[in-house]
Amino acid sequence: MIERYRGLAGVLSVAMLAATSSAFAATEVRVVVSEYSSQTGAIFEGMAKDFEAANPDIDIKIEVVNWDNLEQKLTTDIAGGTAPDISIIGTRWLAGYVKEGIAEPLDGYMTPEFKAKFIEAFMAPSVFDGKIMGLPVAASARAMYYNKTLFEKAGIAQPPATWDALKADAAKIKALGGDVYGFGIQGKEIETDAYWYYALWTHGGDLLVDGKSGIASDAGVQAANLYKSFIDEGLTQPGVTNYSRENMQDLFKQGRIGILLTGPWLRGMMKTEAPNVSYGVAPIPEGTTKATYGVTDSIMMFSSSEVKDAAWKFLEQAAFSDKWRTEFTVKEGFLPVTQAEAAAPELAGDPELKGFLDMLPYAKFAPTIANWEEIADTTSSALQKVYLGEADARTALGEAAAKVDSLLAE
Amino acid sequence: MSSVRAIAERPDALPSGGLRAAMRRSAPFWMIAPSLAFTIFVIGYPVYDLVQTSLHDVNRFGQLRGFVGTEHFATLFADPLFWSSLVRTLIWTVGVVLGTILVSVPVALILNDDFAGRGVARVIIMLPWAISLTMTAIVWRWTLNGQAGMLNATLFELGLIDQPVEWLATAGAAFPIEIAIGILVSIPFTTTVFLGGLASVPEDIYEAARLDGATAWQRFRHLTLPLIRPFVNIAIVLNIIYVFNSFPIIWVLTQGGPANSTDILVTYLYKLAFRFGKLGEASAVSLAMFAVLLAFTLVYAWMLMRKEANAP
Amino acid sequence: MSTRARKSILYWLLLTPLMVVILFPYAVMLSTAIKPAAEVMRFPPSWLGSRIELGNFLEMWTKTGFGRALANSLYVSAMATLLCLVVAIPAAYAMARFRFAGQGWYRQFLLITQMLSPIVLVIGIFRLMALLGLVDQLNSLVLTYAAFNLAFSIWMLQSYFATIPIEVEEAAYIDGASWLQSLTRIFLPLALPALAVTAILSFIFGWNEFVLALTTLRSSEKYTLTLKVFDLVGGRYSVEWHIVMAATLLATLPVAVIFAWLQRYLIRGLALAAVK
Repeated sequence: MIERYRGLAGVLSVAMLAATSSAFAATEVRVVVSEYSSQTGAIFEGMAKDFEAANPDIDIKIEVVNWDNLEQKLTTDIAGGTAPDISIIGTRWLAGYVKEGIAEPLDGYMTPEFKAKFIEAFMAPSVFDGKIMGLPVAASARAMYYNKTLFEKAGIAQPPATWDALKADAAKIKALGGDVYGFGIQGKEIETDAYWYYALWTHGGDLLVDGKSGIASDAGVQAANLYKSFIDEGLTQPGVTNYSRENMQDLFKQGRIGILLTGPWLRGMMKTEAPNVSYGVAPIPEGTTKATYGVTDSIMMFSSSEVKDAAWKFLEQAAFSDKWRTEFTVKEGFLPVTQAEAAAPELAGDPELKGFLDMLPYAKFAPTIANWEEIADTTSSALQKVYLGEADARTALGEAAAKVDSLLAE
Repeated sequence: MSSVRAIAERPDALPSGGLRAAMRRSAPFWMIAPSLAFTIFVIGYPVYDLVQTSLHDVNRFGQLRGFVGTEHFATLFADPLFWSSLVRTLIWTVGVVLGTILVSVPVALILNDDFAGRGVARVIIMLPWAISLTMTAIVWRWTLNGQAGMLNATLFELGLIDQPVEWLATAGAAFPIEIAIGILVSIPFTTTVFLGGLASVPEDIYEAARLDGATAWQRFRHLTLPLIRPFVNIAIVLNIIYVFNSFPIIWVLTQGGPANSTDILVTYLYKLAFRFGKLGEASAVSLAMFAVLLAFTLVYAWMLMRKEANAP
Repeated sequence: MSTRARKSILYWLLLTPLMVVILFPYAVMLSTAIKPAAEVMRFPPSWLGSRIELGNFLEMWTKTGFGRALANSLYVSAMATLLCLVVAIPAAYAMARFRFAGQGWYRQFLLITQMLSPIVLVIGIFRLMALLGLVDQLNSLVLTYAAFNLAFSIWMLQSYFATIPIEVEEAAYIDGASWLQSLTRIFLPLALPALAVTAILSFIFGWNEFVLALTTLRSSEKYTLTLKVFDLVGGRYSVEWHIVMAATLLATLPVAVIFAWLQRYLIRGLALAAVK
């Protein structure tokens, strides 16, 4: 029986080989792409088509994977020895890849001109020990979206610049009555922790202080208590622990929420899904200081790849060509990561985008730590306890910080 | 001349020696060999891999390094989340299986009786079987959406609520809802098994009992129940196994949240393995789960045997 | 009113609460699937949109590659069922007709494999599939689904086989049929109800399975239905619920029809497989 299935597998692989070798191409490059929107696949297929036309000896195979599954798929792929040649990954995972020697350093492939294309701030998170381990492919900073119609109705002239002002405005929006909420707070699934970092950072706190967790600092407790006060005073939507990022955005699209903190992609959704909602974009409100959350996704090459030169060619000639970079960034609604994109007329002339770009100097990035996901999950759980009133901020964050410290020590 | 019956019942009666006889004696082994080899290959190898992983230092990509003995188990047993997930798994399993049996027995009794529209009723009761668990869970996630979900829509229209209810915001509401959905999707299989059992009960013994003046309850208690008990046992054992290992409902609805308050062992395992990259500990969870399930099943089998031994 | 009519009314009343809960999600699917996209999120929510938008199904079909996923699911479930039966039938026959050394052990072995679920073994299974070069191949699912169904199938078939009188085979045997002939021409046709039930259950397993499909399949043209629908929801920046509900509703139909058609057969098969 075993032999029979070995045989079956053999037949299949022979068939596959025959299929690929009978085609024109000799070298196949597997590219895993995360799905940002329904357009992502088409954009990368476009790149591949362009590239294959210029390089008939190379065959580009694009695999689109959604974010929820991407990490698991890559993990099993690497474990099973079937890693792709290049992949988009969350830059926060890169540390783990570098530690295990899975990521290929890219410095050797890059010309100085190529290197100079990038905006420094977005390249920095992908640099480990002076070596470039990945190229930023999508970048976002977070900002405050506010519903202009609700602001007008509530008699608010200016978007709030501080948390105190934001709270006062949220109260005014609540006073309008009806089914609208002042300030949206996210409390479920991916980025529950990030939604709170805005408050942590603007109160002067940080995620890591001298190599230890900084979430239970005074700033952290203040930030958590601030959000809790929104919940207790009814200034946010009820049941925050049931609101994922996507649910929050749905509320904003419905014009039901006054203020929401999120990334540039919402602009594209507003355009197509909620063209009638009038909104503005402003910086994240200040506590004691200015801050925003900067996030990049990187494209990285696997050290196990046997077609590194072809893979690099694809990156250089197609994926990071000015044409395709601009196309990607405009369609997906991200921030430009190269100078050429930033100068492109579609992006340079966009005043909202300028709002995001202006915040870049204050952007904080998630620390590049190998077990970041578990640390983020620990933080999210602690916050959910606070939001639900199951524990006070100092206790919950204190316990979480102790766990994070032990994770950092691993 | 030997017959199949002779082979079946008295293999020792076959004359010894001779190729034919030898072949006959080995016949059952040849018949089970494919299934044995196939299972060892597809299930056995992964089990071996699992044991290996649980005893080695392993990176997030499954590359084994040094031998660490039982270190992963020690870490696991020191993690309060493991214990709370274990307790919740037991509540989840007992809740779903008990609920399923309690609902399915009367439903099966009704569906076994003759009444107008029975065929339609049977098809409706079987419907949850037609959607995969994942899809069921996705539909319920949407149904329970606080703002736009149809459950709140219905309650609004009936005038029962005037503010949206966020059903999944707290474990106090989310976990019972998840158990209820678990029950709902287990009913078709269980009811089908019971119906199978009921259909095998001969009609005439009821006639006799009715003539003896037994009430409906007495007939159920003393005739039906003992006769379908093997089916009930099978349904319990299989449901325990399925429910204990069931992943999609909780994963899709709450991912074990908020604050790990709806985590069961499978969701804990999934996060450890694929989110946190702790394959060593995840393998230890897998083996611990297997041990718990094995213990569960053995205890249950033992209880059954004792009961049967005590029966007159 | 006749007794039967009264009984029927009573039974339907008793079953109604459960049926409401069972049918509720179907109503939700239908309601959302035919709403215009812009009204799906409207607050307060309502069951009916301003008009019936059947175009959602068309949009879903083209946008998601639903037809391909449907074909994949059918292929995987059917092939896994076939493979499972081919392996299970001789084993069940041996268990029902022979007494042999190690039979008890074999039975225990089957029960233990029944207790292992794909999610617990997913990493090891993936590595095995990588070894065989079957990653991103539908056939990897055929192999694993068949393996995970084997224990239950053998057990089902064996209990049914045991109820078929041995005289039937003996008669054919004495009439000069070879053992294999008596098996395929006489025995298996008699076992058809049990084969059907086992096949249905195995098919449903394949149709519903999620974790293994999620792990082994890569390219979206290989996705099974369940995976395709999950893909429309998981980790998205925005979820188009009208599309998701149109997809789930359509995905449900094939199996619902099979059930309506075969449910009587299913119950009879189970009844005859009198469990020992």
